[in-house]
Amino acid sequence: MVEELLKPIKDLIADYSFNTKNEIVIRTSDFNLAKVSQYLFRDLDCELATVIATDDRFSDDCCFTIRYVYSYHKKNVFFIVENKVKERFNSLANIIPALNWYEREIRDMFGLVPLNHPDPRPLVLFPENFPPDLHPLRKDFDIKTRPELKSYGKYEYKEVEGEGVFNILVGPIHAGIIEPGHFRFSLAGEHVLQLEIRHFWKHRGVEKLAEGKTAEEILEIVPRVSGDHSYAHTLAYVQAIEKLSNTEIPERAKYLRVLFAELERLMCNLNDVAWLFQDVAYSFGAQGMFILKEEVMRLNKALTGNRFNKNVLKIGGVSVDLNQEKVNLIIDKLGFIADKFEFYKKIIFDSASILDRFETTGRILYETVKELSCVGYTARASGLKSDIRKEHPYLIYDKLTFTSQTFEEGDCFARLKCRLSDIEDSISIIKEVLADLPDGEIFTQPNPLPANRWTLGYSEGQRGNIMYFVKTDKEGKIDRLKIRDPSFNNWQAIQWAVLGDIVADFPLVNKSLNLSYAGTDL
Amino acid sequence: MFRIFKERFKEGIKAEELKIRDENVEILGKQLKEKIDKYFQGSFAIREVDSGSCNACEYEISALSNPYYDIERFGVKFVASPKHADAIMITGCLTRNMYEAMMKAYENVPNPKFVIAVGDCALDGGIFKGSYAVMDGIKDKLPVDIWIKGCPPEPIDIISGLLMLLNQKFGE
Ligand code: SF4
Repeated sequence: MVEELLKPIKDLIADYSFNTKNEIVIRTSDFNLAKVSQYLFRDLDCELATVIATDDRFSDDCCFTIRYVYSYHKKNVFFIVENKVKERFNSLANIIPALNWYEREIRDMFGLVPLNHPDPRPLVLFPENFPPDLHPLRKDFDIKTRPELKSYGKYEYKEVEGEGVFNILVGPIHAGIIEPGHFRFSLAGEHVLQLEIRHFWKHRGVEKLAEGKTAEEILEIVPRVSGDHSYAHTLAYVQAIEKLSNTEIPERAKYLRVLFAELERLMCNLNDVAWLFQDVAYSFGAQGMFILKEEVMRLNKALTGNRFNKNVLKIGGVSVDLNQEKVNLIIDKLGFIADKFEFYKKIIFDSASILDRFETTGRILYETVKELSCVGYTARASGLKSDIRKEHPYLIYDKLTFTSQTFEEGDCFARLKCRLSDIEDSISIIKEVLADLPDGEIFTQPNPLPANRWTLGYSEGQRGNIMYFVKTDKEGKIDRLKIRDPSFNNWQAIQWAVLGDIVADFPLVNKSLNLSYAGTDL
Repeated sequence: MFRIFKERFKEGIKAEELKIRDENVEILGKQLKEKIDKYFQGSFAIREVDSGSCNACEYEISALSNPYYDIERFGVKFVASPKHADAIMITGCLTRNMYEAMMKAYENVPNPKFVIAVGDCALDGGIFKGSYAVMDGIKDKLPVDIWIKGCPPEPIDIISGLLMLLNQKFGE
């Protein structure tokens, strides 16, 4: 099958090999990189899943490696294009817009220069705070380096000019209890001509922190990458480690992992719907949904002792089992939530004043989500299928029935409808899991990690798929951990979503995408 | 609309017999309210600033406004402008990129003011301590009045932390 798929670019690639069952590594020259990438992205219709740079100068190689990961949806396959780089590489952002931020990130973190990049400004390391020659993910960079905190340069914003055009600058600190980020609106009257976003205010150096740690130690870090997705992030990570170490977890643990994953998805979706209601001043519905979200968090606490189900995942299985009493509790709570949810859902479709705010607001076209390789409900609301539980099934998702619905409109209402249908999906998945829950162990002792190997780990978070890349060093410790939160791919879409809308609709558009800042900033 | 009224009649008046209220929240809340009534004329305004959190702390602080806690009942209000605040609440480690914005927010809270650190990583950076990208936490940058621990602290921990702060300042 792979042979067949790669036939048209046979002459452009040096060779290909299987890294794991579904990870196909393609080696090519810098010269042919654009053609190969274009073939995968355009002709095979792959999505750009992530891009990973590694500094291999001090191990066996003499240079850096950049790996472009393309996810092929029709079969459970990832194509990973490998490119060896010394100091510079050809930017592909002009032909694959989804690469824009990745290439800028690599420039900041590794000091590798993307040639002819359409937007060569720094992304992660602000020139106002970081010296230009600081590249933290180089192996010879000591994590404890702290250059003097002063301004080393200036960031140039894109200016919009014209008669009557003015700017509104928002953030980094916002009015509510939310994460920091900077938004610049250029307006003519009330209508948005341009929105420029600037993130990475919360850049904490997560990926550098992971270097040299043991697989076990990293379990402290990954739940703290993006707080409301602590479980899904940890799941993506442990699956990578288990794949690398060839550890097969017990059946029951797989079922339980799915159960907790869906509880997190349910919690996040209920919270999103609540905030969406709040933003259209529909307080009655909002508070109702907040009650349901709190109920899920209290259920979590009763099941695992933690409102976010932190510490449930272990390498090799899970740490919490369910007895009959807990199963009954879940069924009870789900019944309550499903009933109430049904009621609020009916109201939404009944109420013109709610629909009026959502419909046609914040429209994102199919072409935009496709070009940016958006994921999760951001993609699905605009007609692009995206659900890694279906495309690259893990745990027991291939045995479960769920819809993962897509819509065509691409507006705030479509994104709301995605949430509503995801809530129903999660409830039905949990019921199915409980009905079929097999007996047995919930944990198996993991095998040690092999040296000098790498793999991908992934899971579907509520915002979309989360991609991890884990590479071990010669001692079997973590050499490189690359984290890609769904928000990293989705954030750029917001700049298109608001075009032509009035600025007062921005809070709603923002909530309808509800992207993570912490997960993006790392 | 009709559906809403129907539900209202069916369910009765919720505010009078809410089963969702916990006893502990009510006890702590009542004490908190007494203090706030006495020393802040009934309203204690907090400006929340995230200087590098993972967002779970925000998640729990936001939960304080849901009907289970409804912290505004006790006089605690989260405000948009630091100029309207009695206290600044900081979550997360302190990143280099957020340092300036956080300091500006702090300076704009009028005196006298309290500094409330929320979460394990707020004081010294927690697991992010020592990274090139952070200045650890706010410990040696701001005069922290109280540190509410937890990763994240639960809503009830935050309520009891606020009460502790006021007890500490004004006596039990
Ligand atoms: S204390 Fe824990 S939950 Fe709070 S911001 Fe830090 S890592 Fe996140």
